[in-house]
Amino acid sequence: MQTKISGHLEIEIQGESLILLPQRAIYWQKNKTLLVADAHLGKAATFRAHNIAVPTGTTEKDLQALSELIVKTGAEHLIFLGDLVHNKRGLTDRTCSLILAWREHHSEIKITLVRGNHDRKIPSIAELMRLDIVEEPLVMQPFALKHHPEKDSAGYVLCGHTHPAVRLHGAGQKSLRLPCYVFDDHIGTLPAFGSFTGCADLEPTGSERIYVLAGDTVVEVH
Amino acid sequence: MNEPMGNRRRKRPNMFKKREELQRKREELSRKPSNSRKKRTTTVALESISKQTSGGRELVEDWFSRQGWEPFQFQKETWDAYLKGESGLIHSSTGTGKTFAIWPAPLIEWLEESLSSGATEVTTPPLTVLWLTPLRALAGDTEKSLREMLDGLSLNWSLETRTGDTSASIKARQKKELPSALITTPESLSLLLSYADNQKMFANLKLVVVDEWHELMGTKRGTMTELALARLRVLNPNLRTWGMSATLGNTDEAMHTLCGINASTTRRITSNIDKEISFVSLLPESVENFPWAGHLGLPMVEQVAQTIEKAKTSLVFTNTRSQCEMWYQALLIVRPEWAGEIALHHGSLDRETRKFVEDAVRDSKLRCVVCTSSLDLGVDFAPVEQVLQLGSAKGVARLLQRAGRSGHKPGALSSVVCVPTHAFEIVEFAAARKALAAEKIESRRPLPKPLDVLSQHLVTLAVGGGFRLESVVAEIRSAYSYRNLSDIEFDWVLNFITKGGRALGAYPEYCKVQEYDGYYIVESDSVRQRHRMSIGTITSDDSMNVVFMSGERIGSLEESFIARLRPGDRFVFAGRCLELVRTKDMKAFVRLAPAKGGTVPRWMGGRMPLSSELSEAVREELGITAQGRYESEEMKLVEPLLRLQETWSQIPDEKSVLVEHMQSREGYHLFIYPFEGRLVHEGLAALLAYRMSRLTPATFSLSINDYGFEMVSNIDIPVEMLSEHHLFNPENLADDILRSMNASEMARRRFREIARVAGLVFSGYPGKSKTSRQVQVSSGLLFDVFSEYDPENLLLHQAQREVLEQQLEESRLRNAMKRLSKSRLISVELQRPSPMALPLLVESWRGKVSSETIAQRVSRMQLALTKKPPKATRTPIAKTKITQKTMLKKAAQEQGSKVS
Repeated sequence: MQTKISGHLEIEIQGESLILLPQRAIYWQKNKTLLVADAHLGKAATFRAHNIAVPTGTTEKDLQALSELIVKTGAEHLIFLGDLVHNKRGLTDRTCSLILAWREHHSEIKITLVRGNHDRKIPSIAELMRLDIVEEPLVMQPFALKHHPEKDSAGYVLCGHTHPAVRLHGAGQKSLRLPCYVFDDHIGTLPAFGSFTGCADLEPTGSERIYVLAGDTVVEVH
Repeated sequence: MNEPMGNRRRKRPNMFKKREELQRKREELSRKPSNSRKKRTTTVALESISKQTSGGRELVEDWFSRQGWEPFQFQKETWDAYLKGESGLIHSSTGTGKTFAIWPAPLIEWLEESLSSGATEVTTPPLTVLWLTPLRALAGDTEKSLREMLDGLSLNWSLETRTGDTSASIKARQKKELPSALITTPESLSLLLSYADNQKMFANLKLVVVDEWHELMGTKRGTMTELALARLRVLNPNLRTWGMSATLGNTDEAMHTLCGINASTTRRITSNIDKEISFVSLLPESVENFPWAGHLGLPMVEQVAQTIEKAKTSLVFTNTRSQCEMWYQALLIVRPEWAGEIALHHGSLDRETRKFVEDAVRDSKLRCVVCTSSLDLGVDFAPVEQVLQLGSAKGVARLLQRAGRSGHKPGALSSVVCVPTHAFEIVEFAAARKALAAEKIESRRPLPKPLDVLSQHLVTLAVGGGFRLESVVAEIRSAYSYRNLSDIEFDWVLNFITKGGRALGAYPEYCKVQEYDGYYIVESDSVRQRHRMSIGTITSDDSMNVVFMSGERIGSLEESFIARLRPGDRFVFAGRCLELVRTKDMKAFVRLAPAKGGTVPRWMGGRMPLSSELSEAVREELGITAQGRYESEEMKLVEPLLRLQETWSQIPDEKSVLVEHMQSREGYHLFIYPFEGRLVHEGLAALLAYRMSRLTPATFSLSINDYGFEMVSNIDIPVEMLSEHHLFNPENLADDILRSMNASEMARRRFREIARVAGLVFSGYPGKSKTSRQVQVSSGLLFDVFSEYDPENLLLHQAQREVLEQQLEESRLRNAMKRLSKSRLISVELQRPSPMALPLLVESWRGKVSSETIAQRVSRMQLALTKKPPKATRTPIAKTKITQKTMLKKAAQEQGSKVS
């Protein structure tokens, strides 16, 4: 693993080792589990269905990136932390056939979706992607896997939903805004995976650990 | 109103107030039925209009003489030209009389026609005159003066206003039947064109008047107006277009832009009222204690207060909104008794507040208003006796426009007092005076075929009943801005609105506009509705409403400013010290803070570059100085400063460019003074840094102002490199500049407006936020997605072109480089920063040219853990003051020692 993906960063949470990947996903090596939040597949198609001209290619790219991650990590279990699909209207024939072909290619892997706010009205995704939908939290000791960043008595929360980013400041009024991983005492939030997703500025309090995605490297910032 | 009132006692007084108000309004309405309430089409006997059997023209001239006026020559000339079927432009530098140059013309025509028809009765005509105004605030005043004449002639024309403020019920009625004359905005006109029966609406249209055309022309709203006019001319081949404009450097081009390229006869009419302008500089006692840099000018506050005391009503123009807020506070500190007599006015304040201030000025209730360009246009302020300009106006046209806000009566004197904010601005004033006398006025150029506006317009046509391909191309090209539209560009836009964006093939699922055999139409109701909601091209930055806890709105501020505040932080806005309570739903809730103080918001943009006309005048002025001549009062005052510059360095004349170099702890400094305005300097500095770093590896830190720029590097760059390697050569300019600057980030920001105009970003239906949330996206994200998946998208190219042309003034930069490459290079080694170099040293804006990766940059950056409140003022000013005092002292000592 270490040799296959460069730029990653290994951290320890609750005694477990987690690998933060520059491709916006966490690999939990002990359980051979890949965690991905907020993929928002079919988002561009939703826009086009509303007659807003957005080019094609984002969903393809995201599925391809997922493929690469699966191959390179050798993951056996893929868990989506909510918001796998953007909207019902984005599940066009075209999007569906892309997803089907992708699943065909990775027929071995087990997939679980922790239901997020965007997935609520799309039960058909279970069949399409041959995955299990579970309500949050999905407990895998010591973690409670969720979509929404809320404390949970079942364990340390790993989640998505907020699409976090931070603004870094340099000398001479220069600033840079980058998506990031955030870990506080109870909750760890993943950056959004989808390439057609925005992000929201985080307001750091100083007590959390922040890892930004700087190009193809994960960097801790202070 | 049906809900029980018992438990809402607190609200009661308010409700009663409202009810009383309603009652009062109702009574008012019943007393004098307004035109909009009675039956609008009337038939009257012609006899009642024309008592004797005189012609229409005599009737109008009678009306003029009843007012005690004599029509001016240019007014009569306009009437004649109109009656001959001509279109044109009426321009004047200041003054009035333009409205009555054109308004009587269609009335005369209608009267003549009615009288010669032999009929005894006339009915109210259908829509005949369309009056476009750039500002909603202007509509009220315009309606008043147009009505004055209709009433005076007892014509049964109906006259109404339709803007974004007009109530839905009136709009609905207007949709069925438009008045004889309609005052409206470009956006509302575009909206009218999106209704299916627009052909019928405009069938009888004879004249479109565009007020303040110089304000509209160089903007996307102006381009939208051009396209709308092109459509109206197709519907109505005999339509005449008349514009009213301030005098520009390119008045002829302004006229052709307005009238379209197919206009057979156009006439340019100069209002010949000679307007006298008094131009005075308010100068500090001596230049020794006056700051060399900065842009606030607060040391002048006492002198300004004294000047305000001399006139009954003054307007004080500032260049930025933060300067406006600060000056308002400063004036109240030196004249506390003026509380209630002075007011402030800028674009972020609530519309109601602004209107209140405008009305108070008109009714002579205020001593002074501190304002920004928000009062550049519009509203006739008869009581204003003088205008104060704080800091340089940065352009001759703007100075003229502002001067014209005072003495706004034919024959009255316009008086402008210029107040410097730093020492070099005094040179600008001397230069401005000469440029003004020589009538060297800036040009404003129409935008070159913006494709976002075109795609919006084509969808508007498709929504409003559809268009035919074979005729629409010629129609679009008849608009001046689109005269060079290529087939490729047109086809791309057509493809964009029908199939998506990519040059070949279509986006799946996408169909905004449908094509049937060369006929293009929108069939989906939701597309229609959404398009109408997003018509318009003005983009406001993401702004947040600022409201009191009670819900009363104060105005709006950029989100980026609010985002940096924490609850409990204080800031100055709308002349009050406020404390942030919380932010919620894009609203910042505030309460009044007891104590004075707090930060003043800094707004985006705002700082205009020195115009090329004024830059040239400044260079000439310095050229005279270089010969040792100090002629005007202003130049005499700054003589000690310029003498110092001469002693420590040199003063460049028009044929040379001064390059100063110096070494300090920070590195090697190069100061170059092209005197071309800050935008050109920004581009030039980045370009030179880029070209130098290609010759020898180096990292540069850059700073700029309106006079020159500074480059600091870690290695010694010989000045000779500039000429030996032809670094000022304008070849490959566009490529080099795009590579040297963070051009993609600039284009990304530009794309925000383009995406909104082209209908890619939709801000949502009011009250329907849930359904539209699925399709909301930031324009920045769209820009990234387009760049990666559809890089040939012409809207992306447009963003880049707008950055080059508007943000970096590429053509001006090119001319500057041509001039510089022919200039003589004067190289001076400095022992200490010269008076011209010092402001650059303390400039807070710093750019950087280097080639590091993001990860490398991140390693040096810091996470802003504690949110710093934005800096109120730029601290270097104080520093400058000390430095220059000591320097002048030193200089004096040195001079003394030389003599002895």
